[in-house]
Amino acid sequence: MAQMWITMGPQHPMTHGLWTLRVKVDGETVIDTEAELGYIHRGVEKICEARDFTQVTPYCDRLCYVSAMTWANSYIYAAEDLLEADVPERAEYIRLISAELQRLASHLMWLGAFGPDIGNLTLMTWCMRDREMFLDLLQELGGSRMHYNYPRIGGVKRDIPIGFADRMIAKVKLFEKRIEEYEMMLDESTIWLVRLQGVGYCNAEEMVEAGVSGPNVRAAGVNYDVRWAHPYSVYDEVDWEPAVEKPTSVKGADCYDRYRVRIEEMRQSCRMVLDAIEKIPGGKNTNYASGDEMIYTKAPTRAPEGATGFSNYECTRGASQFYIEGGGEGRGKKPYRLSIRSPMFITIPFVAKTMIGYKVADIPAIMGSFDPCIGETDR
Amino acid sequence: MDDKYDLRGLLFSTFEDLIPKVLEGTPLEDSSAQIAFGLATFAVVNIVFLMLFFSQFAILWIERKAVARMNDRRGATTALRSLWVGENGVTAGEWWNMLPFGLGKPIGGLNKWLNKKFGNRDEKFATVDRVNNRSWMGYSIFPGFFQNVADGMKFLVKEHMVPQRADKLIFEVAPFLIVSSTLLILGIIPLSSGMYATNPELSILYAIAIFGIAPIGVFFAGWSSNNKYTLIGGIRSAAQLTAYEIPLLLTLLSVAVLSGTFNIIESIHFQHSAGAWNLFLMPLGAGLFLLTMIAEVERVPFDMPEAEAELVEGWWTEYGGMRFGMLFMAEYIRTYAACFLFTHFFLGGWHLPFQGLISQIPLLGDAYLLIPGAIVVLVKAWLVFLLVFVWARFSLARIRTDQILEFGWRILLPLAVLQVVLAGIYRLYLFDPTAMKDTAAGGWAWDAFGVPMLVPILTTIVWLGIFVLFLNDEDKSGNTERMFHVYTEKPAGTYVPGQE
Repeated sequence: MAQMWITMGPQHPMTHGLWTLRVKVDGETVIDTEAELGYIHRGVEKICEARDFTQVTPYCDRLCYVSAMTWANSYIYAAEDLLEADVPERAEYIRLISAELQRLASHLMWLGAFGPDIGNLTLMTWCMRDREMFLDLLQELGGSRMHYNYPRIGGVKRDIPIGFADRMIAKVKLFEKRIEEYEMMLDESTIWLVRLQGVGYCNAEEMVEAGVSGPNVRAAGVNYDVRWAHPYSVYDEVDWEPAVEKPTSVKGADCYDRYRVRIEEMRQSCRMVLDAIEKIPGGKNTNYASGDEMIYTKAPTRAPEGATGFSNYECTRGASQFYIEGGGEGRGKKPYRLSIRSPMFITIPFVAKTMIGYKVADIPAIMGSFDPCIGETDR
Repeated sequence: MDDKYDLRGLLFSTFEDLIPKVLEGTPLEDSSAQIAFGLATFAVVNIVFLMLFFSQFAILWIERKAVARMNDRRGATTALRSLWVGENGVTAGEWWNMLPFGLGKPIGGLNKWLNKKFGNRDEKFATVDRVNNRSWMGYSIFPGFFQNVADGMKFLVKEHMVPQRADKLIFEVAPFLIVSSTLLILGIIPLSSGMYATNPELSILYAIAIFGIAPIGVFFAGWSSNNKYTLIGGIRSAAQLTAYEIPLLLTLLSVAVLSGTFNIIESIHFQHSAGAWNLFLMPLGAGLFLLTMIAEVERVPFDMPEAEAELVEGWWTEYGGMRFGMLFMAEYIRTYAACFLFTHFFLGGWHLPFQGLISQIPLLGDAYLLIPGAIVVLVKAWLVFLLVFVWARFSLARIRTDQILEFGWRILLPLAVLQVVLAGIYRLYLFDPTAMKDTAAGGWAWDAFGVPMLVPILTTIVWLGIFVLFLNDEDKSGNTERMFHVYTEKPAGTYVPGQE
């Protein structure tokens, strides 16, 4: 058949955001691809140079609109490294719990968007239903449903409310049963399996060389989870283990592996928060006032001359890194340069090239299995 | 057995009595018989068509409600009240003001009166109703039923756009080809033995021929839109429909072989007179029919031609306004017709379940037989739609193009041939034509070895056993490529590279 270029995007159901995938097809087979990014570039890094260190947090919330808490935490750890702030242990536990609840919500959003990619609309509403539980919990902490502005340099904005622990335990235990429901609907459906298995193979070595991280490489058997390899926060104190899928083919991980590893990661997040809420110092049913020394330590607002801060953080889509260069004369309250390393910015062009050789109908399956988020990609 | 309620006979006899009296003494007196026939036919055709067409709203409603339950939501719940709630921003809006020449003014006046008379006087419902028109004073009548009317109104007032470099003639012709050929299917679908528009001798062949016209329209639509998505969708549709037309034809051929007729009504009579519905004589054929019909009407899991994840909306991407609405309606009419055909070919048409046994009971049997055949047919068709089409659509994913074609050619086609052979064997060797009885109780033509109804019972048990075997056939160790496997070798989270 004749070959032609199809421009999928910037408005296209496959994209999960705003970007363009140009596909060259020969009949139904993809023979070449090209990814065009940058439609929602906002210049966050530049904006942050004109903001105080505390004012940067809301901008980091908006880097990824389905995983705001982890991105804000990611920035906070870099800023604390820069300003040499101490964090109370209770605040670290609260951060861990909030980040893992956010990871559950984000993975549910991924699964909900992945279902319609394959053609299963029910999955979308089921996942939205369960995500609502975790959004409610995060709303109790941060006050809003999407952009929380919750972590502070030196602690968190406010303590967990009275009764939060009981509500959270009940919801997480309910959700652990719901995961089995999802598996009953998906893993036992032959159509779901033939659409995902053997599709979108990615080699572990190639992915590591390209810089892909997070669940996408763990699906290929690479046991690299920042929370496990370089524990920040209190991840070395709670009960969990990284979800690593053993690939069954020499070609690497397929879409099904990536789906499995995220399902398993949701289980591990549940296990983690259930353990952390029991181990939290100061008790799970106490509520300290805002600014109490249990949850907040006052941090310096001015960075020393020539100081730098760096954080390596496991976001829901992979390792996000912040690099902040401190002020200098007259700019001490503001970052001189703030650099963000987004996992999806590296992943999306890589994925575009792995689609070559598969069918047009596999494009949404492959792209969706990598969990693209354009907010953090374009920054 | 004929249905008790013979609408057709009633109308024809009425007109044949009435018309000669009316035309007595006029120049048309000689041709009064023909005029009576024409008028009666006209009346019957219109009544049947309107019944089929408007009962179609029920399946839209069934889909909405069932899906809402499957998705743990209440679903769209625009009720009757949406037509008379006049605030801005509600679902229907003041659509009557958009009609030309002030035609909608009376509707607007009626709406105002209804609002004044039956509007919410209770403050606590006011907000809820303004948001989604759910109830009147907390009560709702058929919530969601009138959503379709509101959708249709919206389509009607939308602009019709043709892409600039499209083939304009073909672009305009394609929807009419699809919609008109689809409406023609309704012509041969009987609602009962006394309620059908027309009954050609070879109505099964006619149904198949008419079903085969729409793919041409689909291909026209995809090609003429001058859009790469519609082009791919149109070609996918052509490939899929041709691949599934053949098993469908063979399945219907096996129905015809078993019933010994190409006529829908006669095949229904055969099922009752012989004593067993075709579903129990050829479960394989019923399954094949449903599978191929889902593919023919392009619903999940066979909706590749309009796969919205990669092809936006497939071959109808460029259609807007009422043309999109008509194409959408045509798809549902085809689905509805498929449900009716399944009812007639496999579920005994207007005959009640266990009619033979229950009609023997005094009083209760008589009451049972009083249920009108048209109602039985409609309920059966709705149940088929709910239990097969809706359930499949909202629990399954979409199959890829090459997998669909492979499934069609390599699995369905041989099975359909097998079904034709089986139907021939049943008809020739297991069928007892002398035991056919066209009474309320029906005959016992499928007895074997002196056991009554042994053939359908045994057939059903055997096919159910095969079905259960195929459900549990997964070989979890043998397949290295992991196709059709449910579990990975080790659960995630237990494997650490370098530690083995």
